[in-house]
Amino acid sequence: MIDPYYLQQLAIGLSLGMTYALMAIGFTLIFGVLNVVNFAHGEVYTLGAFAGLVLISATAPPIFAVIFIALAIGAMAGFSLERIAFKPFRRFTDEASLKSRAMRESTLLSSLAVSIVVREALEIVFGSQMRSVPFEYLINTPVRIGPVILVTGDFIIFGVAAAMLIGLQYLLTRTRIGLSIRAVSNNPLGAKYVGIDTDRTIIMTFVVGSMMGAAAGILTGLYYGAIFPAMGFVPGIKAFVAMVMGGLSSIPGAVICALILGISESMATTFVSSGWSDMVAYGFLILTLIFFPNGLFGARRERV
Amino acid sequence: MTALKTASLAALMTGALAGTALAADTVKIGYQLPLTGETAQYGQDFRKAAEIALTEFNASGKPFKAEIVFEDSRSDAKEGTNIARKFVDDKAIVGVLGDFTSGVSMASAQVYKDAGMPQLSQTASHPDYTKISKYQFRNIATQAQEGPYNAKWMLSKGYKNIAVIAEQTDWGQSVVSGFTDGVKANGGTVVFSEFFNRGLKDYRSLISKLERAKPDAIYTGFFYEDGAQFLRQVQQLGIKTPVYSTSAAYSPKLIELAGEAAEGVHLTSNFLPTDPAPHIQHFVTEWKAASNGAVPGQFPAQAYDAVRIMLAAVEKAYPNPTREKVRDALAQTKDFAGVTGKTSFSADREAEKELVKVEVKGGAFVPVAD
Repeated sequence: MIDPYYLQQLAIGLSLGMTYALMAIGFTLIFGVLNVVNFAHGEVYTLGAFAGLVLISATAPPIFAVIFIALAIGAMAGFSLERIAFKPFRRFTDEASLKSRAMRESTLLSSLAVSIVVREALEIVFGSQMRSVPFEYLINTPVRIGPVILVTGDFIIFGVAAAMLIGLQYLLTRTRIGLSIRAVSNNPLGAKYVGIDTDRTIIMTFVVGSMMGAAAGILTGLYYGAIFPAMGFVPGIKAFVAMVMGGLSSIPGAVICALILGISESMATTFVSSGWSDMVAYGFLILTLIFFPNGLFGARRERV
Repeated sequence: MTALKTASLAALMTGALAGTALAADTVKIGYQLPLTGETAQYGQDFRKAAEIALTEFNASGKPFKAEIVFEDSRSDAKEGTNIARKFVDDKAIVGVLGDFTSGVSMASAQVYKDAGMPQLSQTASHPDYTKISKYQFRNIATQAQEGPYNAKWMLSKGYKNIAVIAEQTDWGQSVVSGFTDGVKANGGTVVFSEFFNRGLKDYRSLISKLERAKPDAIYTGFFYEDGAQFLRQVQQLGIKTPVYSTSAAYSPKLIELAGEAAEGVHLTSNFLPTDPAPHIQHFVTEWKAASNGAVPGQFPAQAYDAVRIMLAAVEKAYPNPTREKVRDALAQTKDFAGVTGKTSFSADREAEKELVKVEVKGGAFVPVAD
């Protein structure tokens, strides 16, 4: 018989990993296509949460309306983000520019700039205090399964993450837009030559990825019951680690690594002080980079 | 409305008169605080409190005008030291308020120590802060005072085996050491003690681990954001162990964020916004007007008092206030009637304050006798 304590820690770890996975999916999708890190993903997450919160405080909408508004704001945020921070760097379509490292690194900085502007703007508009979510909207009613206690949100987040993952795999492998996303991620110039509208594909990727980011934001907000401008930072880091461990461009890989991260963090708390459990995530990152430079699931050539 | 207009007009006129009479003699004070970043909410509150105190001071017909220079330290020690150098270089600045965290206050204190600049922090409660030099003052009860006080309180309630958790900061360490000393001296046992990182979202692993030690009660060193998450997750896991905390968690936001999970939490405080004393009600009214009707917590109240203590010291050092004169005036502060009770500085520049025992009952902080 296993000590129920460990079962409880395992369950906590899984639920923690699930919240990282939720964020990592959109993050990895955008990276997979553009081959650039989108540092503003954490702010899209925060925007989604605030959009939901504003709607909740203004009217008393049903929960699906809250998710819907978060998705809509996420789509808009993704579209504008691409327009502001990424499109200007695609002005030159010659081969040299497309392969240029400088071009890639400039979008890294431009997305970081957008993220700072958005975060500070949110701070000016809403203040930097944590805002509470009305209790009837929270998704953390305890649920007891044998010796383990979870909350309703764990199941909702699991469901949403699974739906996102399956939906995305379907989109990428079975639909036309998915086919063009994969083509662009594989070879943008080649895709352009065979007549794929690369601009449109990239915008679509941003819209889809950001919708997922925004949904992750509002769900996590309802799960923990606190929404504030800096909330996207830590999940952003964890999602980034999961993505790198998963091989930068494999979405299932990022999800599995997010779960590994969550479980190892909660298990580590048993053996070391909780203050050190963050070290686990970064330790894993370093180990992966040393021993698996392509990530744990990044051996395949094909991106996304 | 008309009354308000007349009042503000009158205030303007007195201000203008005083200004012309003394050719706008102004004294500058520096205030370093986090206005952006993870702890911005505290810094923003401090600035709001400071502005209330400053407006009052300048409208009260004093022989000089005061001006506060706010600088954003982002709760970053390096940034804090840079600001300290900037303040020191500005010859017009005669005293400094801040910073928010003990860590940043102590880093900046090294600069103020060398330059001979009086520094008064509204919140830095690490025991070592005031030991840096004779220029460091604080307007907060330290954990060396609060810890043993709370230890006695909990032991008197019959809790012998106590678990302690606190955030992984200079301040958090002083919470654990201050309290642990108090428990040991009074015959109790600390069965579990651990630190967590500020801003941790999920405390469930830590709570499960803590409960394995089977404590009678939990003593916590956290601020309201971390506190609300912790309390909520304690409730989620169905744990009924009583939770005690420090005055740092004393904020209406704790109850707002944690809801009914905050019921029954015990903590100490030295500011009660419900106190009917006129100067306290005056501050509460001003604060509400400046923050959409929200009730002030303990920290803004401490900042408000700190600014007023500093201004009183500058006034005492006037005319021709120097950094040294302001320091001496600060050190002489005795029974300053602030909103956080009467404040005197002891010989080692510690604020001597009375603590009030408080429990969360029916969604409000209620003073309790034991």
